[in-house]
Amino acid sequence: MRKILWEINTNTPDMKINKRTYIYILILASGFVWILFSADRSGTSTSGLIPAPQQGFLAPDFELQTTTGETVKLSALRGQPVLVNLWATWCPPCRAEMPSIEKVYNEYKEDGLVVLAVDMTYQDTQSNIAPFVAEYGLTFPILLDQSSEVGNAYQLRSLPSSFFINRDGTINEVVIGGPMAEALLRTRVEEILK
Amino acid sequence: MIEAFRSLFAPPRHLILLVAAMWIGLVLAEKRTQKHGVTKEQLNNIVFYGLFGYIIGGRVLFALNNLSAFSQSPLSIFSPNPDLFDPTSALLIAILVGFVYGQRQKLSLWRTFDAVTPAFAVLAIGLSLSHLAAGTAFGRPTDLPWGIDLWSTTRHPSQIYELLASLFIFGWLWFKKMDSPPGIYFLTFTALTAGARLFLEAFRGDSTLILGEYRLAQIAAWVVLAVVLVTSEKIKQQAGN
Repeated sequence: MRKILWEINTNTPDMKINKRTYIYILILASGFVWILFSADRSGTSTSGLIPAPQQGFLAPDFELQTTTGETVKLSALRGQPVLVNLWATWCPPCRAEMPSIEKVYNEYKEDGLVVLAVDMTYQDTQSNIAPFVAEYGLTFPILLDQSSEVGNAYQLRSLPSSFFINRDGTINEVVIGGPMAEALLRTRVEEILK
Repeated sequence: MIEAFRSLFAPPRHLILLVAAMWIGLVLAEKRTQKHGVTKEQLNNIVFYGLFGYIIGGRVLFALNNLSAFSQSPLSIFSPNPDLFDPTSALLIAILVGFVYGQRQKLSLWRTFDAVTPAFAVLAIGLSLSHLAAGTAFGRPTDLPWGIDLWSTTRHPSQIYELLASLFIFGWLWFKKMDSPPGIYFLTFTALTAGARLFLEAFRGDSTLILGEYRLAQIAAWVVLAVVLVTSEKIKQQAGN
């Protein structure tokens, strides 16, 4: 009986609209319940504590020697904004962006900006580094990745790759490929200086 | 297989997937455009002007938002670097440019949206593939057997969920009988896309949260879904369905 009544009702245009409206209300109510049910109470969206070379994650730590023999550990720079630039002397876009990095570094180093230019020494010729640094007049530290420690930790796929790291050690922005325009460098550096 | 795909289309090569999707989508949209009362030429023009507005608008508005950075190196505005771009503003400009073109050509808004819908649906597939390649839009940690290793832990393959949903939506629209009133085809795509986002966002590990725990994208998708359902109901009522 109920089935017959339903069929009669749904045969009239008004009731057809009502049936569709009920479906829409049901869809929206289910969506609302799903939003509440799937709320992120455990903080799984917070990736800041996991080290990974991706925006929002903790920058993977490393400890490398510079060309002048000093040891630099990334985690020891916590509290300062850091630009980690992965490069090699044979890479044309790396060469092209170095003058801009030097210029921006000089502008912002008084504000605490640290630039770590990590040469992928395991796929570079170490003897080419000193003439390269002299040619471009680079004043920031040049780190040597002899064992692909940083290349692996930062899942290097393309040179140059730049990681803009916030004062709390999390990655603010990743720029893969280059050369980076000077304005891009400035906007990203100003973000991590905040 | 996923790793091989990610290596092949690692950033910035993942953008190739978006360009390819755009091209395939446009080719498919061209095949159906006459059925919506829009000529191939009009479709191509609206996409061309929209894309032009997207590229120029995205760059110019990025520069305007970062005037101090650009004032010191104004030539950076011509840099080929895709990171100097504001995608949200670009999208708004593209819509505006497309709208102005449509008005000048006296095109029906709903029919035009219907004609472009296959391109949007294929672009959504390309977007999910580019997310997979770049490792963005990643899932939250899981113990499920189909989890993938990404960013130092096993995660929901949220990009694959997104890909399956966009393939389903494209298939649904492509094989759907086109006997609905103008606008319904586009609104169906929007409703399905918003519904998919509402459901799948729960498995994402990079959600922007509001009020401490609620996912902003889910709330936005719910609002879009509500607006679309009300609008499509009105269109159907006007058409007497």
